[in-house]
Amino acid sequence: MATKPKIKQLLDESACSHNKTKKVACNAPKPGATTGGCAFEGAQIALFPYADAAHLVHGPMTCLGTSWETRTTGTSWQGRDLTQTGFTTDVSLNDVVFSGEEKLAKAIDYIIEYYSPEALFVYVTCVTALIGDDIDLICKRAAEKYDVPMIPVHAPGFVGSKNLGSRLGGEAVLAHLIGTKEPEESTPFDINLIGEYNVTGDMWQYTPLLKELGIRVLSTLSGDGRVAQIRTAHRAKLNVIVCAKSLISLTRKMEERYGIPSISLSFYGKRDTSKGILAIAEALDDAALVNRARTLVAREEQKLEEKLAPYVAFFKGKKAVLNTGGNKTWSIAAALQDLGIEVVATAVKKATEDDREKARQTLGEKGVLMMDPGAEQARLIDETGADLLLAGGRSLYTAIKKGIAFADVNQEKKKSYGGYDGLLNLAEDLKNAMQNPVFRNVARRAPWEK
Amino acid sequence: MGKVIHKSSKPLQVNPFKLSQPMGATLAFLGIDKCMPLMHGGQGCTSFTKVFLTRHFCEPIAIQTTAVTDAIAVLDGGDYSIVESVKNITKKVTPSLIGLHTTGLPETKGDDIAGIARQIEFPMVHVNTPDYEGGLESGWARTCKAIIEEIVQPAERVDDNKLVLLPHVSLQPIEVEKAKEFIESFGYNVYAVPDLSTSLDGHLGNKQAALSSGGISVDELRTLGDAGLVLTVGDSMQSCASSLQQKNSEMRHYHFAHLHGLEATDALVKVLLDETGFFGPPPTVSRWRRRLQDAMLDSHFSLGQTRFLVAAEPDQLSGLCQTLHDSGGRVTVAISTVDSTQLETLQAEQVMVGDLEDAELMADEYDVMIGNCHCEALAHRLGKGMVLRGFPNWEQVGNALKNDILYEGGCYLLFEAANTASAARNEVQHV
Repeated sequence: MATKPKIKQLLDESACSHNKTKKVACNAPKPGATTGGCAFEGAQIALFPYADAAHLVHGPMTCLGTSWETRTTGTSWQGRDLTQTGFTTDVSLNDVVFSGEEKLAKAIDYIIEYYSPEALFVYVTCVTALIGDDIDLICKRAAEKYDVPMIPVHAPGFVGSKNLGSRLGGEAVLAHLIGTKEPEESTPFDINLIGEYNVTGDMWQYTPLLKELGIRVLSTLSGDGRVAQIRTAHRAKLNVIVCAKSLISLTRKMEERYGIPSISLSFYGKRDTSKGILAIAEALDDAALVNRARTLVAREEQKLEEKLAPYVAFFKGKKAVLNTGGNKTWSIAAALQDLGIEVVATAVKKATEDDREKARQTLGEKGVLMMDPGAEQARLIDETGADLLLAGGRSLYTAIKKGIAFADVNQEKKKSYGGYDGLLNLAEDLKNAMQNPVFRNVARRAPWEK
Repeated sequence: MGKVIHKSSKPLQVNPFKLSQPMGATLAFLGIDKCMPLMHGGQGCTSFTKVFLTRHFCEPIAIQTTAVTDAIAVLDGGDYSIVESVKNITKKVTPSLIGLHTTGLPETKGDDIAGIARQIEFPMVHVNTPDYEGGLESGWARTCKAIIEEIVQPAERVDDNKLVLLPHVSLQPIEVEKAKEFIESFGYNVYAVPDLSTSLDGHLGNKQAALSSGGISVDELRTLGDAGLVLTVGDSMQSCASSLQQKNSEMRHYHFAHLHGLEATDALVKVLLDETGFFGPPPTVSRWRRRLQDAMLDSHFSLGQTRFLVAAEPDQLSGLCQTLHDSGGRVTVAISTVDSTQLETLQAEQVMVGDLEDAELMADEYDVMIGNCHCEALAHRLGKGMVLRGFPNWEQVGNALKNDILYEGGCYLLFEAANTASAARNEVQHV
């Protein structure tokens, strides 16, 4: 089918750093020893923030029942916000036996009638992929009937990881939305933010600064996004990939098709935020803009440093052990360093080669890259005299046993740690953690313990 | 009792609060000590379930996946993925039991998990729980039944002091513990299956738990055949009792639709008194009964002027509606996740199987919502009072210790509902 992306090609993405060293790529989940989400989840994360689109999950209850309303950042746009609305066909045994196509078609009718979205994403899941429901055809017919874009998303969970699903979500947007509408006006500084999902409002930490510089966010994939905007994305001058390698296939294709260059960056921590803003200005290739960006970055850094000063004084001499995965292995480490905390070790067990390299650069020669953090972190806390452990909930007991502060890095964040101001949120949370006597108090021996 | 709609007429669910069968199965296996639940399907079902339960309980959740991929799905009948999973799990940890449960994916292609489980030389319980059938409640109940059928040894004699309690899925860990203690106070040794009261009760463990840390042990499960009594709580659990009686026909069974409120607790006490021949209950039981009577009176004024929407799994729905109704609360709308025998007898004016879109469309008909945390945004938008109950509750901590049942828990529930209703009224007046 023409609209279905070729998964093998996506996995062999030439821009992935591991493809230089390894023949076999990304994803071969090991039965009984696998963690992490599936392709469906990745696609949903990538697309759900389009607030004026509806997202219909064609599958049984696990897929949507566990996943809607898990990200509660709304939209800044006036009007429709469907980001906290879940739609699913909740297929039954009857649908599995006799096909779920009729139910799907009716569900689309229902959503159009009662919610009139600007576009409708229809997600295939493992079960409906296996029974062979032809969602491409159903979407095509419905799109003709209602003159509303209907986007089939072919990312059933069993095709692979969350990362692959995000790519497939991006492919669907490229195939069905990008380039289907012309923008009302164009500016020389139009950019797309790709892979920025605005979790906890992360992008709102830096988009006002871009606006101040005269840089216009033409569209996003997909944080605080609108369907009408992403349809015009082909007219942007630059694609900015934010902290996500999952969408490099998309930006490469946009470069081939529309001649839009791309840069990849992160807005996590002071240094990365500054670097990111400057990189965008430089990529847009305008000397005046670059100068404005330099001035703005200097101003913002100074503002931040003033606000951070009491925290930096508090964190002076403090050491942290970081046990997480993916890009957090280095991005959180860099943010901690911005606060004046020494990161003595970070876990790289669940990190790509790219991330490991960056972790090495961030921590320097002295830093420890833990390959087996479960076994290593307790010893490293002793050896380095660390004051803080940032890890997932399973490691809480290690911190308590060692009598040091603990912060759960995997907990669903409620506030943003992104951009300049996000660093203040992080500083406040970590200061609170370190000042909290609870970790020592709960470690009290019971009266009956020897 | 009013109109009952057993099936939604819509072709989809909008803002669903229904949950899936495999999730109920996972939860049930987490009520067995040192168990590793193994979900047979794509990796996402497991990942979603793990995050879902972790956020509800604020505890690490032990679970693994067979991680079926598209290529495997076509070529393999489950033999490879399941055998490989057991190998990989036992490389790292030594569970007392592996709890194999399915999702829609392998059920659609027809994997013979019973056959595969037989070939594996490791203690294992297997259960079919496709997510295109049933829901959270049936997943839990089916798993409990499978645990009984596959582990409990047949017996001929009965120990009259030994009692098996089979709680429905919506009872939180502390509620299971309270029910056990209540029955124990009549002199019984009580075994709950599954038993979340010692596994997901939110206790500080002393190591990084890779397996369930607490629950009924496999050894205890084996010897349940000689229990004199089995008590089921919730209609979903009723058939589990017959599975247990098949291990020993001398075992006597008593069923309770729920253990919420005065009347249901009285019924339990009556059974325990009849069985033991005691003249009266332990003093603390009669003390709590008088407190509940008082709580009903104290809360009746607020509840009597309040219209409730209750959205829950059927077994919990029946208990919540009864408790509110007994003190004058008017349940104008009761929404169930799935169909159940409970629906015909609910103390509510309208009963339906539905979703939270239905709840929104009926917004004029109630003042306070009772349901899971998906109701919260809705309650906020509609200006309703909100009492959070059921899975999931991602908005609050302390879910494992929330007790609504028996004389004692009834007091807490009534006070919370009455206070929420009063606060909601004050809010409206001050606007």
